[in-house]
This record gives sequence, C-alpha cells and structure tokens, in this order.
Amino acid sequence: MIANAVGFQTLVKREMVRTFSIINQVIWPPVIQTLLYVFVFGLALGSRIKDVQGVPYAQFLIPGLIMLQVIDQTYSESSSSVFQGRFMNSIQELLIAPLSAIEITLGYVVSGAVRAIFIALLITVLGMVFVHTTPTIWWLYLLTIVLVAVLFSSLGIIFGLLAEKFDHIAVLTTFFITPLVFVGGVFTPAQLVPPVVQHVLYGNPMFYMIDAFRYSYIGRGDLPLAVSLAVVAVLAVAAFGVALRMTAVGYKLRT
Amino acid sequence: MSATALRIERLVKRYGEFTAVDGISFEVPEGEFFGLLGPNGAGKTTTINAIVGLANITSGSISLFGHDVVRDWRTARRQVGLAPQEYNFDRYLNIRDVLIYQAGYYGICGQAVARRADMLLERFDLASKAKQPYIKLSGGMKRRLTLARALIHEPRLVILDEPTAGVDVELRLELWSLLRELNTNGTTIILTTHYLEEAEELCDRIGIIQAGKLVALERTQQLVGDGSLQDVFLELTRR
Repeated sequence: MIANAVGFQTLVKREMVRTFSIINQVIWPPVIQTLLYVFVFGLALGSRIKDVQGVPYAQFLIPGLIMLQVIDQTYSESSSSVFQGRFMNSIQELLIAPLSAIEITLGYVVSGAVRAIFIALLITVLGMVFVHTTPTIWWLYLLTIVLVAVLFSSLGIIFGLLAEKFDHIAVLTTFFITPLVFVGGVFTPAQLVPPVVQHVLYGNPMFYMIDAFRYSYIGRGDLPLAVSLAVVAVLAVAAFGVALRMTAVGYKLRT
Repeated sequence: MSATALRIERLVKRYGEFTAVDGISFEVPEGEFFGLLGPNGAGKTTTINAIVGLANITSGSISLFGHDVVRDWRTARRQVGLAPQEYNFDRYLNIRDVLIYQAGYYGICGQAVARRADMLLERFDLASKAKQPYIKLSGGMKRRLTLARALIHEPRLVILDEPTAGVDVELRLELWSLLRELNTNGTTIILTTHYLEEAEELCDRIGIIQAGKLVALERTQQLVGDGSLQDVFLELTRR
C-alpha cells in the first residue's frame, strides 16, 4: 500500500513543520478557547447544575470540548494545507514525485490525526489540572480521536480540492460543522433535551462522535458504544474513500 | 548508440473541445540538450506537464528511459526533474529544507541527501541563505533554487520551463554556464524558452510546436542554416 515510505513520512513531517510554524493559529487558540469554556460554562455556570450522567457538569463538558477542537482542527489542517498547496502551486512538488494517491491522502490524514492527538492531549491535561477528570478507557480515547481525525481530515482534503477560494473552505465549518457540534451533545446529554429534539439529535453525526468519546471518560453514553463507533467508522471510511478517489483522478490537481 | 531519454508517440491532450497537443511525436536521446520552442499557447507547457505527470494524457504515450509515464509512473518520475517557470516552493521551509524535503518525496533521505543539498546550495551560490525561506531570496536566487531543487534527486533528465525568464543578462549567462556544465556531465536537458538566442546558443536540437503540432524538429545548425533562428521561428509559427 505504501511503496514510498520515505516520501509518505516526509509529507507527514512537512505537515508537522507547517503546524508548528503557525502554532499561534492552530495550537494555542483551541487550548485557550477550551479553557474559557471550562471556566465560564463548566466551573462558573456548571457549579449551579447538578451532576450530569453521574459526574459534575465540568467533567461532563471536557470530552465534548476535546471533540469540538479535534473536529475543527483536523478539518482546518488538511483543508487549508491542500487549498494553499493548490493556490501556491507548491502541491506540484508532491504531484511530480513518485508518490501515489494513497500515500498523499494518507500523509494528510495522518498529519491531521497527529495534530488532533496533540491538541487533545493538551486539553486532557487541562482537564486533569482544572476539572480533575481523566480518561478511563485510553484505547477508546485514542480510537475515537483517530476515527474522527480520519473523517475530518478526509473532509478537509475534499473541500480543499473543491474550493475555488479560501472562503469556500469556511462554508462547511460555519454552516455545518460548528452548528452540528454545538447541538451534538457537547453541552447537554440527550436525556435533558425534549423527546422530539432527541430524534433530531440521533440524525446528527457529531452526536455519535461525542458520545463515543465521552464513554472513554465516564464509562457510559447515551447510545450503545458499538453503535456510536460503527457510525463514526463508516463515515470515516466513506470520507477517506472519496478523498482518495479525488486525489487519484487528480481532481483540480492535474489538468 | 545512446539510449532514448524521452520518447513521445502521437501525444494528444484535449481540454474539452480544445486540443492543446495534437498528435506530436519525437525522441530525445540521452545526453542531448533539446530545445522545445513555440509561441504562447502552442502546447509546450502542456507537453511538459504530460511528461512529468501534471497533465493526464488523452491519448498516445510517453516514456522516460524506457519507462512509461502512466504504467510505470513511479520509476519514470524518478528519472526526471522539473524546474517550472513559476516559483512554487514550500513557504514553510527554509531553502535547505526545500531541497531535503523534495528529495524525501522521491524516497531519498539521510546524510547523503543533506550533503547533496549543501553541495547544490554551494554550487548555486545559495549557501549563505540556507536557513532563509525562499521569499527572502532575490529573483535570481529563486531561479537558481528552482534549478537546484530539480537536481536534488539526481535525475537523468531535467526539464527547464523558461529558466531565464525575467532575469538580467549577467545571471542569464551564469545560468547558461551552469546548464552547459550539467549537460556536459551527462544530464539530458529539455529547455523551453522565449529567448531564441538562448536556444540557439545552448541546444543541440530544436523542436518547434505551433498550435499543438510539431512543425520542426532538426539539429539547431540545420534549422538555422544561414539565417537566424528568429526568422525560421517566425516563418514556422506565423498564423
């Protein structure tokens, strides 16, 4: 599958260099944003809310906030990198090299996943320090982050290829990702919303991601874990397949 | 008898109804300095893009040192280095890393690559800027970096798309000297340029493309004859 391992590793390394060269745009903002959420919603307002799913509200909040940043950051990473590469033509360095479509697509996806894990771990440490909460099922913690990162890195590649200007990349974030994440169980469990809204919630893919991830912290969720993981895995595989296909045919990459 | 570096057979490239390259065929033997000329929009860059994999071929075939660029694309791409006309360097890397990462994409890493990058930076008079990003370089330095990047993986064929566009006379002469040296050392070179005196000075053979068709393919001296390349070029490409 990966015949040019050095080329693949070089692409991942390059994406990491890019991430850490714009650290004030991509690493600190999600961390600071999460801290603000924790202080304002979790500790200030949350102290007036009784336990949620058997844990204090601030502890309930942390997994959702991590997922919020993982989703946002992985999408931003690959969409902006692919679009910028197209815009500056620097992506031609990859296209003329002996790198296959799967090596290029995986390169972007793996770098997105690494960035996601890094940011998630930073926020996890904040959660340990300020809210005294820690993941209890680490394999599930990592698996969910990886699946979600694959899904949103792939979506980032797709929209990075579709976009004609930077503004187009923001369409998915502004009109779909952010609203769906906010109503997808970051701040409230399904039991607390009216029954009619619960049905809407089950149609929201973000709900499954957040629910599976929260399971890794508190050991329970609104849905059976297998269902949540299966939904996320299917979406991740489908998105990766589309991104791979677009790269393989050279959509807006090769003339 | 030398091997064939590049073989193009009945290459066609269409964009919808528009035919950019219309059935051209030619060969470039190993070690040759070959000029591919033509007016703007004639199909030179499309042909180059088809050779290096930036354009999908509509029909026909291209092989590099016997390796088909579609069926045996991985091996074919290792044979060729491209110095494009536009500066498309990675803005997040310093120029030494631009070379090292480019080698990485070709599957090459380690100390040998670092040494080769340093050697190329030295050779192209860029060593003092090794830790700078490319945007800090002058136009001439960027041109030299384009060439250095094309050479980092030691390709047997180098394609130069207007390598001296927009550079002053002094740098142009310096680049000519570098290209001659490269060719003398055995690297096959394909050059596209709008400076006809450049092609006349450097190229062993010249092909002229007009409206996607190859309208001339001869040794430079035979093509020019007693006149000038400019007269021949204008005669062949007059619309």
